[in-house]
Amino acid sequence: MPEPDIALSLEGLTAGYEGPDVLRGISLEVPRGRIVTVVGPNGHGKSTLLRTVSGLVRARSGRVLVGGAEVQALAPHRIAAAGVAHVPQGDLLFPEMTVHENLMMGAYREADAGVIEARLAEVHALLPRLRERHRQLASSLSGGERRMVGIGRGLMAGARILMLDEPSLGLAPLVIEQIYEVIGRLREQGRTILLVEENPARVAELCDTMHLLDNGEIVWSGPPAELMDRDELLATYLGG
Amino acid sequence: MLDILTAVLVTGLTNGALYALATVGLSLIWGSMGMLNMAHGAMLALGGYITFTVVETLGLPLPVAMLAAVAAGALAGMLLYLGIVRSLLKSGGPGFETSVMIATVGIAIALQNALLLVYGGQPLRQPFAISGAVGVGAGVVPLLNIVIVAVAVAVMVAVSVLISRTRMGRAIRATAQNRDAALLMGVPVGRVYLQVLALSGGLAGICGVLVSSITQLTPGLGADPMLKAFIMCVVAGLGNLPGAIAAAFGLAIIEAAVQFGAGARWGFPVLLLLVIAILIWRPAGLFGRAQIRRM
Repeated sequence: MPEPDIALSLEGLTAGYEGPDVLRGISLEVPRGRIVTVVGPNGHGKSTLLRTVSGLVRARSGRVLVGGAEVQALAPHRIAAAGVAHVPQGDLLFPEMTVHENLMMGAYREADAGVIEARLAEVHALLPRLRERHRQLASSLSGGERRMVGIGRGLMAGARILMLDEPSLGLAPLVIEQIYEVIGRLREQGRTILLVEENPARVAELCDTMHLLDNGEIVWSGPPAELMDRDELLATYLGG
Repeated sequence: MLDILTAVLVTGLTNGALYALATVGLSLIWGSMGMLNMAHGAMLALGGYITFTVVETLGLPLPVAMLAAVAAGALAGMLLYLGIVRSLLKSGGPGFETSVMIATVGIAIALQNALLLVYGGQPLRQPFAISGAVGVGAGVVPLLNIVIVAVAVAVMVAVSVLISRTRMGRAIRATAQNRDAALLMGVPVGRVYLQVLALSGGLAGICGVLVSSITQLTPGLGADPMLKAFIMCVVAGLGNLPGAIAAAFGLAIIEAAVQFGAGARWGFPVLLLLVIAILIWRPAGLFGRAQIRRM
Protein backbone atom coordinates (compact mmCIF):
# COMPACT_ATOMS: atom_id res chain seq x y z
CA MET A 1 0.00 0.00 0.00
CA PRO A 2 1.47 3.44 -0.91
CA GLU A 3 2.48 5.67 1.98
CA PRO A 4 -0.09 8.49 2.53
CA ASP A 5 1.00 12.04 1.64
CA ILE A 6 0.21 13.25 5.15
CA ALA A 7 2.44 11.52 7.70
CA LEU A 8 0.84 13.10 10.77
CA SER A 9 -2.41 14.95 11.20
CA LEU A 10 -3.80 16.54 14.37
CA GLU A 11 -7.48 17.47 14.44
CA GLY A 12 -8.86 19.64 17.25
CA LEU A 13 -6.45 18.17 19.79
CA THR A 14 -7.08 19.13 23.42
CA ALA A 15 -4.92 17.80 26.26
CA GLY A 16 -3.62 18.63 29.71
CA TYR A 17 -2.35 17.24 32.98
CA GLU A 18 -4.40 17.34 36.21
CA GLY A 19 -5.64 20.92 35.88
CA PRO A 20 -7.08 22.91 32.97
CA ASP A 21 -6.33 22.21 29.31
CA VAL A 22 -2.76 22.94 28.22
CA LEU A 23 -3.51 22.41 24.53
CA ARG A 24 -6.75 23.75 23.06
CA GLY A 25 -8.04 22.58 19.69
CA ILE A 26 -4.70 22.08 17.94
CA SER A 27 -4.99 21.21 14.26
CA LEU A 28 -2.01 20.79 11.96
CA GLU A 29 -0.61 18.51 9.29
CA VAL A 30 2.89 17.22 8.62
CA PRO A 31 3.25 16.22 4.95
CA ARG A 32 5.60 13.35 4.09
CA GLY A 33 9.19 14.51 3.46
CA ARG A 34 8.66 17.96 5.02
CA ILE A 35 9.79 19.73 8.19
CA VAL A 36 7.00 21.41 10.14
CA THR A 37 7.90 23.54 13.13
CA VAL A 38 5.86 24.65 16.14
CA VAL A 39 7.35 27.72 17.82
CA GLY A 40 6.34 29.56 20.95
CA PRO A 41 7.68 30.76 24.30
CA ASN A 42 8.44 28.42 27.20
CA GLY A 43 5.43 27.03 29.02
CA HIS A 44 2.96 27.49 26.16
CA GLY A 45 2.47 23.77 25.46
CA LYS A 46 5.11 22.83 22.85
CA SER A 47 6.46 19.79 24.72
CA THR A 48 2.94 18.81 25.82
CA LEU A 49 1.97 18.75 22.15
CA LEU A 50 4.66 16.18 21.32
CA ARG A 51 3.96 14.20 24.51
CA THR A 52 0.30 14.02 23.51
CA VAL A 53 1.11 12.80 20.01
CA SER A 54 3.37 10.05 21.41
CA GLY A 55 0.80 9.06 24.05
CA LEU A 56 2.72 10.07 27.18
CA VAL A 57 -0.06 12.60 27.82
CA ARG A 58 -3.60 11.41 27.13
CA ALA A 59 -5.64 13.52 24.66
CA ARG A 60 -8.91 14.81 26.16
CA SER A 61 -10.51 15.30 22.76
CA GLY A 62 -9.60 15.49 19.09
CA ARG A 63 -7.77 13.06 16.85
CA VAL A 64 -4.16 12.10 16.11
CA LEU A 65 -3.70 10.35 12.77
CA VAL A 66 -0.42 8.67 11.89
CA GLY A 67 -0.29 7.60 8.26
CA GLY A 68 -4.07 7.94 8.21
CA ALA A 69 -4.68 5.67 11.23
CA GLU A 70 -6.18 7.04 14.43
CA VAL A 71 -3.77 6.53 17.38
CA GLN A 72 -4.80 8.90 20.17
CA ALA A 73 -6.36 6.11 22.25
CA LEU A 74 -3.34 3.79 21.97
CA ALA A 75 -0.62 3.20 24.60
CA PRO A 76 2.71 4.97 23.89
CA HIS A 77 4.49 1.77 22.84
CA ARG A 78 1.76 1.10 20.26
CA ILE A 79 2.00 4.68 18.93
CA ALA A 80 5.76 4.13 18.54
CA ALA A 81 4.97 0.94 16.61
CA ALA A 82 2.59 2.94 14.39
CA GLY A 83 5.57 5.03 13.24
CA VAL A 84 6.20 7.90 15.65
CA ALA A 85 9.75 8.45 16.94
CA HIS A 86 9.80 11.07 19.70
CA VAL A 87 13.13 12.60 20.77
CA PRO A 88 12.05 14.29 24.00
CA GLN A 89 13.39 17.39 25.66
CA GLY A 90 16.37 16.48 27.86
CA ASP A 91 17.10 13.37 25.75
CA LEU A 92 15.76 10.71 28.16
CA LEU A 93 18.68 8.44 27.33
CA PHE A 94 19.33 5.18 29.18
CA PRO A 95 22.24 6.39 31.33
CA GLU A 96 23.69 2.98 32.24
CA MET A 97 23.69 1.76 28.65
CA THR A 98 26.42 2.44 26.10
CA VAL A 99 25.88 4.67 23.08
CA HIS A 100 25.51 1.54 20.94
CA GLU A 101 22.96 0.00 23.30
CA ASN A 102 20.97 3.25 23.33
CA LEU A 103 20.92 3.25 19.52
CA MET A 104 19.86 -0.40 19.48
CA MET A 105 16.98 0.42 21.84
CA GLY A 106 15.74 2.78 19.13
CA ALA A 107 15.35 -0.25 16.87
CA TYR A 108 13.71 -2.30 19.63
CA ARG A 109 10.66 -3.14 17.52
CA GLU A 110 12.64 -4.13 14.41
CA ALA A 111 13.33 -7.86 14.15
CA ASP A 112 15.30 -7.90 10.87
CA ALA A 113 19.04 -7.76 11.69
CA GLY A 114 19.86 -6.59 8.16
CA VAL A 115 17.51 -3.60 8.45
CA ILE A 116 18.98 -2.71 11.86
CA GLU A 117 22.55 -2.85 10.46
CA ALA A 118 21.56 -0.62 7.53
CA ARG A 119 19.96 1.95 9.86
CA LEU A 120 23.00 1.89 12.13
CA ALA A 121 25.28 2.56 9.15
CA GLU A 122 23.07 5.53 8.16
CA VAL A 123 23.15 6.93 11.69
CA HIS A 124 26.94 6.53 11.88
CA ALA A 125 27.32 8.26 8.51
CA LEU A 126 25.17 11.17 9.71
CA LEU A 127 26.63 11.33 13.23
CA PRO A 128 30.21 9.96 13.02
CA ARG A 129 30.90 10.98 16.64
CA LEU A 130 28.55 8.21 17.78
CA ARG A 131 30.70 5.56 16.11
CA GLU A 132 33.75 6.87 18.02
CA ARG A 133 31.81 6.83 21.28
CA HIS A 134 29.89 3.59 20.76
CA ARG A 135 31.29 1.80 23.83
CA GLN A 136 30.94 4.82 26.13
CA LEU A 137 28.16 5.00 28.74
CA ALA A 138 25.48 7.56 27.88
CA SER A 139 25.85 9.11 31.35
CA SER A 140 29.45 10.08 30.55
CA LEU A 141 28.66 12.05 27.36
CA SER A 142 28.62 15.82 26.90
CA GLY A 143 25.30 17.65 26.36
CA GLY A 144 25.78 17.87 22.58
CA GLU A 145 26.76 14.22 22.29
CA ARG A 146 23.72 13.22 24.35
CA ARG A 147 21.49 15.19 21.99
CA MET A 148 23.08 13.42 19.01
CA VAL A 149 22.46 10.02 20.62
CA GLY A 150 18.82 11.06 21.14
CA ILE A 151 18.47 11.99 17.45
CA GLY A 152 20.33 8.84 16.36
CA ARG A 153 18.11 6.69 18.55
CA GLY A 154 15.04 8.32 17.02
CA LEU A 155 16.36 7.59 13.51
CA MET A 156 17.04 3.93 14.43
CA ALA A 157 13.30 3.42 14.80
CA GLY A 158 12.85 3.92 11.04
CA ALA A 159 9.67 5.78 11.88
CA ARG A 160 7.22 7.59 9.59
CA ILE A 161 7.77 10.80 11.50
CA LEU A 162 10.55 12.07 13.74
CA MET A 163 9.48 14.52 16.48
CA LEU A 164 12.28 16.64 17.93
CA ASP A 165 11.62 18.58 21.13
CA GLU A 166 13.89 21.66 21.35
CA PRO A 167 17.08 19.89 20.28
CA SER A 168 19.15 23.02 20.97
CA LEU A 169 17.95 23.56 24.54
CA GLY A 170 20.76 24.24 27.00
CA LEU A 171 23.59 23.78 24.50
CA ALA A 172 26.52 26.06 23.66
CA PRO A 173 26.14 28.12 20.43
CA LEU A 174 28.75 26.07 18.57
CA VAL A 175 27.03 22.80 19.49
CA ILE A 176 23.64 24.24 18.51
CA GLU A 177 25.09 24.95 15.05
CA GLN A 178 26.23 21.33 14.77
CA ILE A 179 22.80 20.03 15.82
CA TYR A 180 21.03 22.19 13.24
CA GLU A 181 23.52 21.10 10.59
CA VAL A 182 22.41 17.54 11.28
CA ILE A 183 18.74 18.54 11.00
CA GLY A 184 19.59 20.29 7.71
CA ARG A 185 21.05 17.04 6.40
CA LEU A 186 17.92 15.18 7.52
CA ARG A 187 15.92 17.67 5.47
CA GLU A 188 18.09 16.94 2.43
CA GLN A 189 17.43 13.23 2.95
CA GLY A 190 13.69 13.94 2.76
CA ARG A 191 12.88 12.95 6.35
CA THR A 192 9.51 13.89 7.81
CA ILE A 193 10.02 15.94 10.96
CA LEU A 194 7.84 17.76 13.46
CA LEU A 195 10.16 20.13 15.32
CA VAL A 196 9.33 22.30 18.30
CA GLU A 197 11.61 25.22 19.09
CA GLU A 198 11.49 28.36 21.17
CA ASN A 199 13.49 30.55 18.79
CA PRO A 200 11.67 31.01 15.41
CA ALA A 201 14.65 32.73 13.77
CA ARG A 202 16.83 29.71 14.38
CA VAL A 203 14.60 27.32 12.44
CA ALA A 204 13.10 29.66 9.82
CA GLU A 205 15.44 28.48 7.05
CA LEU A 206 15.05 24.82 7.90
CA CYS A 207 11.31 24.30 7.83
CA ASP A 208 8.56 24.36 5.25
CA THR A 209 5.69 25.43 7.51
CA MET A 210 5.67 27.14 10.87
CA HIS A 211 2.95 27.23 13.52
CA LEU A 212 2.95 29.79 16.32
CA LEU A 213 1.71 28.39 19.63
CA ASP A 214 0.35 30.86 22.18
CA ASN A 215 -1.08 29.59 25.48
CA GLY A 216 -1.94 26.19 24.03
CA GLU A 217 -3.55 27.52 20.83
CA ILE A 218 -2.16 27.88 17.33
CA VAL A 219 -2.55 31.59 16.55
CA TRP A 220 -0.74 31.72 13.24
CA SER A 221 0.37 29.21 10.55
CA GLY A 222 2.23 29.72 7.29
CA PRO A 223 5.61 29.99 5.59
CA PRO A 224 8.33 30.86 8.14
CA ALA A 225 9.52 33.98 6.29
CA GLU A 226 6.12 35.60 6.75
CA LEU A 227 5.96 34.99 10.49
CA MET A 228 8.87 37.35 11.18
CA ASP A 229 6.81 40.37 10.10
CA ARG A 230 3.59 39.42 11.87
CA ASP A 231 2.16 41.23 14.90
CA GLU A 232 1.16 37.85 16.38
CA LEU A 233 4.83 37.02 16.89
CA LEU A 234 5.46 40.10 19.04
CA ALA A 235 2.19 39.62 20.89
CA THR A 236 3.02 35.97 21.72
CA TYR A 237 6.60 36.56 22.85
CA LEU A 238 6.22 39.95 24.50
CA GLY A 239 2.58 39.77 25.58
CA GLY A 240 -0.15 42.08 24.53
CA MET B 1 42.18 -24.27 62.61
CA LEU B 2 41.93 -25.29 58.94
CA ASP B 3 38.80 -27.35 59.56
CA ILE B 4 37.15 -24.33 61.28
CA LEU B 5 38.08 -22.14 58.33
CA THR B 6 36.60 -24.72 55.96
CA ALA B 7 33.41 -24.89 58.02
CA VAL B 8 33.10 -21.06 58.05
CA LEU B 9 33.63 -20.91 54.31
CA VAL B 10 31.17 -23.74 53.59
CA THR B 11 28.45 -22.19 55.78
CA GLY B 12 29.17 -18.68 54.50
CA LEU B 13 29.17 -19.70 50.83
CA THR B 14 26.02 -21.82 51.21
CA ASN B 15 24.11 -19.10 53.05
CA GLY B 16 25.58 -16.49 50.69
CA ALA B 17 24.29 -18.42 47.68
CA LEU B 18 20.82 -18.66 49.22
CA TYR B 19 20.76 -15.00 50.29
CA ALA B 20 22.04 -13.96 46.86
CA LEU B 21 19.29 -15.91 45.12
CA ALA B 22 16.63 -14.32 47.34
CA THR B 23 18.29 -10.91 46.95
CA VAL B 24 18.38 -11.08 43.13
CA GLY B 25 14.61 -11.64 43.09
CA LEU B 26 13.94 -8.68 45.37
CA SER B 27 16.47 -6.41 43.71
CA LEU B 28 15.11 -7.10 40.21
CA ILE B 29 11.68 -5.84 41.23
CA TRP B 30 12.98 -2.85 43.14
CA GLY B 31 15.36 -1.88 40.35
CA SER B 32 12.79 -2.00 37.58
CA MET B 33 9.57 -1.01 39.34
CA GLY B 34 10.53 0.71 42.59
CA MET B 35 8.45 -1.94 44.36
CA LEU B 36 9.34 -3.73 47.59
CA ASN B 37 7.69 -7.14 47.39
CA MET B 38 6.92 -8.13 50.99
CA ALA B 39 5.34 -11.39 49.71
CA HIS B 40 8.72 -12.61 48.40
CA GLY B 41 9.31 -14.72 51.54
CA ALA B 42 5.89 -16.38 51.25
CA MET B 43 6.67 -17.17 47.60
CA LEU B 44 9.85 -18.94 48.79
CA ALA B 45 7.73 -21.10 51.09
CA LEU B 46 5.30 -21.80 48.24
CA GLY B 47 8.16 -23.16 46.11
CA GLY B 48 9.29 -25.44 48.92
CA TYR B 49 5.81 -26.88 49.48
CA ILE B 50 5.12 -27.34 45.76
CA THR B 51 8.26 -29.51 45.47
CA PHE B 52 7.14 -31.51 48.51
CA THR B 53 3.67 -32.09 46.99
CA VAL B 54 4.93 -33.05 43.53
CA VAL B 55 7.38 -35.61 44.95
CA GLU B 56 5.47 -36.97 47.98
CA THR B 57 1.86 -36.82 46.72
CA LEU B 58 2.18 -37.09 42.94
CA GLY B 59 5.26 -39.34 43.03
CA LEU B 60 7.06 -37.45 40.26
CA PRO B 61 10.87 -37.14 40.07
CA LEU B 62 12.68 -34.35 41.90
CA PRO B 63 13.81 -32.37 38.81
CA VAL B 64 10.16 -32.15 37.70
CA ALA B 65 9.21 -31.01 41.20
CA MET B 66 11.87 -28.28 41.12
CA LEU B 67 10.61 -27.05 37.76
CA ALA B 68 7.09 -27.07 39.23
CA ALA B 69 8.35 -24.88 42.11
CA VAL B 70 9.79 -22.39 39.61
CA ALA B 71 6.54 -22.44 37.61
CA ALA B 72 4.40 -21.97 40.74
CA GLY B 73 6.56 -19.03 41.88
CA ALA B 74 6.40 -17.46 38.41
CA LEU B 75 2.63 -17.92 38.31
CA ALA B 76 2.29 -16.36 41.78
CA GLY B 77 4.36 -13.39 40.57
CA MET B 78 2.19 -12.97 37.49
CA LEU B 79 -1.02 -13.16 39.52
CA LEU B 80 0.41 -10.59 41.93
CA TYR B 81 0.98 -8.22 38.99
CA LEU B 82 -2.33 -8.83 37.24
CA GLY B 83 -4.41 -8.82 40.45
CA ILE B 84 -2.86 -5.99 42.44
CA VAL B 85 0.27 -4.25 41.16
CA ARG B 86 -1.16 -3.29 37.76
CA SER B 87 -4.13 -1.51 39.38
CA LEU B 88 -1.88 0.30 41.86
CA LEU B 89 0.41 1.45 39.02
CA LYS B 90 -2.56 2.66 36.98
CA SER B 91 -3.92 4.69 39.88
CA GLY B 92 -0.57 6.54 39.70
CA GLY B 93 0.56 9.12 42.19
CA PRO B 94 3.54 9.22 44.51
CA GLY B 95 2.04 6.69 46.95
CA PHE B 96 2.75 3.58 44.84
CA GLU B 97 5.80 2.47 46.86
CA THR B 98 3.87 2.57 50.13
CA SER B 99 0.60 1.12 48.89
CA VAL B 100 2.26 -1.79 47.09
CA MET B 101 4.32 -2.58 50.19
CA ILE B 102 1.16 -2.74 52.34
CA ALA B 103 -0.68 -4.77 49.70
CA THR B 104 2.12 -7.34 49.46
CA VAL B 105 2.27 -7.65 53.28
CA GLY B 106 -1.41 -8.68 53.01
CA ILE B 107 -0.60 -11.18 50.25
CA ALA B 108 2.24 -12.62 52.33
CA ILE B 109 -0.08 -13.16 55.33
CA ALA B 110 -2.78 -14.71 53.14
CA LEU B 111 -0.32 -17.04 51.37
CA GLN B 112 1.31 -18.18 54.63
CA ASN B 113 -2.08 -18.92 56.15
CA ALA B 114 -3.17 -20.81 53.04
CA LEU B 115 -0.04 -22.99 53.35
CA LEU B 116 -0.79 -23.48 57.06
CA LEU B 117 -4.35 -24.54 56.21
CA VAL B 118 -3.28 -27.04 53.53
CA TYR B 119 -0.11 -28.51 55.06
CA GLY B 120 -0.57 -27.86 58.82
CA GLY B 121 1.93 -26.26 61.16
CA GLN B 122 4.18 -29.30 61.69
CA PRO B 123 7.58 -28.95 60.01
CA LEU B 124 7.95 -31.26 57.01
CA ARG B 125 11.08 -32.74 55.49
CA GLN B 126 12.02 -31.41 52.06
CA PRO B 127 12.52 -34.31 49.62
CA PHE B 128 15.42 -32.40 48.03
CA ALA B 129 18.06 -33.92 50.26
CA ILE B 130 21.48 -35.28 49.26
CA SER B 131 23.57 -37.25 51.69
CA GLY B 132 27.33 -37.74 51.63
CA ALA B 133 30.31 -35.45 51.84
CA VAL B 134 33.52 -34.65 50.03
CA GLY B 135 36.84 -34.30 51.84
CA VAL B 136 38.56 -30.98 51.19
CA GLY B 137 41.97 -30.72 52.84
CA ALA B 138 41.51 -31.15 56.59
CA GLY B 139 37.74 -30.54 56.43
CA VAL B 140 34.64 -32.16 55.02
CA VAL B 141 32.13 -30.45 52.73
CA PRO B 142 28.59 -31.90 52.61
CA LEU B 143 27.47 -32.76 49.09
CA LEU B 144 24.15 -30.96 49.66
CA ASN B 145 25.98 -27.66 50.26
CA ILE B 146 27.98 -28.08 47.05
CA VAL B 147 24.78 -28.74 45.09
CA ILE B 148 23.03 -25.73 46.67
CA VAL B 149 25.90 -23.39 45.74
CA ALA B 150 26.15 -24.90 42.24
CA VAL B 151 22.41 -24.58 41.57
CA ALA B 152 22.27 -21.02 42.96
CA VAL B 153 25.31 -19.89 40.95
CA ALA B 154 23.95 -21.55 37.78
CA VAL B 155 20.60 -19.79 38.23
CA MET B 156 22.29 -16.41 38.85
CA VAL B 157 24.50 -16.82 35.76
CA ALA B 158 21.38 -17.65 33.73
CA VAL B 159 19.62 -14.53 35.08
CA SER B 160 22.69 -12.43 34.34
CA VAL B 161 22.82 -13.69 30.72
CA LEU B 162 19.09 -13.08 30.37
CA ILE B 163 19.40 -9.50 31.60
CA SER B 164 22.53 -8.56 29.67
CA ARG B 165 22.22 -10.48 26.39
CA THR B 166 18.58 -10.95 25.46
CA ARG B 167 15.92 -8.63 24.01
CA MET B 168 13.79 -9.21 27.10
CA GLY B 169 16.75 -8.27 29.32
CA ARG B 170 17.37 -5.09 27.30
CA ALA B 171 13.73 -4.14 27.75
CA ILE B 172 13.97 -4.77 31.52
CA ARG B 173 17.12 -2.64 31.82
CA ALA B 174 15.64 0.12 29.67
CA THR B 175 12.44 0.21 31.73
CA ALA B 176 14.46 0.28 34.95
CA GLN B 177 16.61 3.20 33.75
CA ASN B 178 13.89 5.33 32.19
CA ARG B 179 10.28 4.18 31.95
CA ASP B 180 9.08 6.97 29.63
CA ALA B 181 12.02 6.56 27.26
CA ALA B 182 11.37 2.80 27.14
CA LEU B 183 7.74 3.47 26.21
CA LEU B 184 8.85 5.84 23.44
CA MET B 185 11.11 3.10 22.05
CA GLY B 186 8.06 0.85 21.76
CA VAL B 187 8.77 -1.28 24.85
CA PRO B 188 5.50 -2.63 26.28
CA VAL B 189 6.30 -1.62 29.86
CA GLY B 190 3.29 -3.43 31.36
CA ARG B 191 4.49 -6.70 29.86
CA VAL B 192 8.02 -6.03 31.13
CA TYR B 193 6.65 -5.63 34.68
CA LEU B 194 4.75 -8.89 34.30
CA GLN B 195 7.93 -10.63 33.15
CA VAL B 196 9.95 -9.17 36.03
CA LEU B 197 7.46 -10.36 38.63
CA ALA B 198 7.29 -13.80 36.97
CA LEU B 199 11.10 -14.02 36.91
CA SER B 200 11.37 -12.91 40.53
CA GLY B 201 8.63 -15.38 41.55
CA GLY B 202 10.43 -18.20 39.75
CA LEU B 203 13.67 -17.32 41.56
CA ALA B 204 11.77 -17.31 44.86
CA GLY B 205 10.37 -20.77 44.02
CA ILE B 206 13.78 -22.39 43.44
CA CYS B 207 15.27 -20.51 46.39
CA GLY B 208 12.51 -21.92 48.63
CA VAL B 209 13.43 -25.47 47.60
CA LEU B 210 17.11 -24.89 48.39
CA VAL B 211 16.45 -23.12 51.71
CA SER B 212 14.07 -25.81 52.95
CA SER B 213 16.60 -28.54 52.04
CA ILE B 214 18.95 -27.35 54.80
CA THR B 215 16.19 -26.35 57.24
CA GLN B 216 12.65 -27.68 57.24
CA LEU B 217 9.41 -26.92 55.47
CA THR B 218 7.29 -24.50 57.47
CA PRO B 219 4.92 -21.78 56.22
CA GLY B 220 7.26 -19.13 57.64
CA LEU B 221 10.47 -20.52 56.12
CA GLY B 222 10.88 -17.54 53.79
CA ALA B 223 10.84 -14.91 56.56
CA ASP B 224 14.53 -15.15 57.53
CA PRO B 225 15.96 -15.28 53.96
CA MET B 226 13.61 -12.41 52.97
CA LEU B 227 14.80 -10.25 55.89
CA LYS B 228 18.45 -11.01 55.10
CA ALA B 229 17.85 -10.43 51.38
CA PHE B 230 16.35 -7.04 52.12
CA ILE B 231 19.38 -6.17 54.26
CA MET B 232 21.72 -7.27 51.44
CA CYS B 233 19.73 -5.14 48.95
CA VAL B 234 20.05 -2.06 51.16
CA VAL B 235 23.75 -2.64 51.80
CA ALA B 236 24.44 -3.04 48.07
CA GLY B 237 22.26 -0.11 47.05
CA LEU B 238 18.66 -0.86 46.16
CA GLY B 239 18.23 -2.22 42.66
CA ASN B 240 21.94 -2.97 42.07
CA LEU B 241 22.01 -6.61 40.97
CA PRO B 242 25.76 -7.44 40.87
CA GLY B 243 26.27 -5.42 44.05
CA ALA B 244 23.50 -7.36 45.78
CA ILE B 245 25.16 -10.69 44.92
CA ALA B 246 28.55 -9.48 46.16
CA ALA B 247 26.98 -8.13 49.38
CA ALA B 248 25.10 -11.41 49.93
CA PHE B 249 28.24 -13.55 49.78
CA GLY B 250 30.38 -11.07 51.74
CA LEU B 251 27.92 -10.59 54.60
CA ALA B 252 27.05 -14.31 54.77
CA ILE B 253 30.72 -15.20 55.22
CA ILE B 254 31.11 -12.52 57.93
CA GLU B 255 27.94 -13.80 59.65
CA ALA B 256 29.25 -17.38 59.57
CA ALA B 257 32.62 -16.30 60.96
CA VAL B 258 30.94 -14.46 63.85
CA GLN B 259 28.69 -17.45 64.55
CA PHE B 260 31.68 -19.79 64.73
CA GLY B 261 33.83 -17.37 66.72
CA ALA B 262 31.36 -15.86 69.18
CA GLY B 263 28.34 -18.16 69.08
CA ALA B 264 25.34 -18.54 66.79
CA ARG B 265 23.26 -15.89 68.56
CA TRP B 266 25.76 -13.14 67.73
CA GLY B 267 25.60 -13.65 63.97
CA PHE B 268 22.51 -11.58 63.21
CA PRO B 269 23.16 -8.70 65.68
CA VAL B 270 26.68 -8.24 64.31
CA LEU B 271 25.27 -8.33 60.77
CA LEU B 272 22.81 -5.56 61.68
CA LEU B 273 25.51 -3.45 63.36
CA LEU B 274 27.65 -3.82 60.26
CA VAL B 275 24.73 -2.74 58.06
CA ILE B 276 24.11 0.35 60.22
CA ALA B 277 27.80 1.27 60.02
CA ILE B 278 27.82 0.83 56.23
CA LEU B 279 24.71 2.97 55.83
CA ILE B 280 26.17 5.74 58.01
CA TRP B 281 29.33 5.62 55.90
CA ARG B 282 27.54 5.27 52.54
CA PRO B 283 23.80 6.09 52.83
CA ALA B 284 23.07 4.95 49.26
CA GLY B 285 24.68 1.54 49.91
CA LEU B 286 28.10 0.17 48.99
CA PHE B 287 27.46 0.22 45.24
CA GLY B 288 24.48 2.60 45.08
CA ARG B 289 24.45 6.17 43.82
CA ALA B 290 23.19 9.00 45.98
CA GLN B 291 19.94 10.51 44.77
CA ILE B 292 19.19 14.18 45.14
CA ARG B 293 15.52 15.07 45.08
CA ARG B 294 14.44 18.66 44.63
CA MET B 295 11.53 19.48 46.90
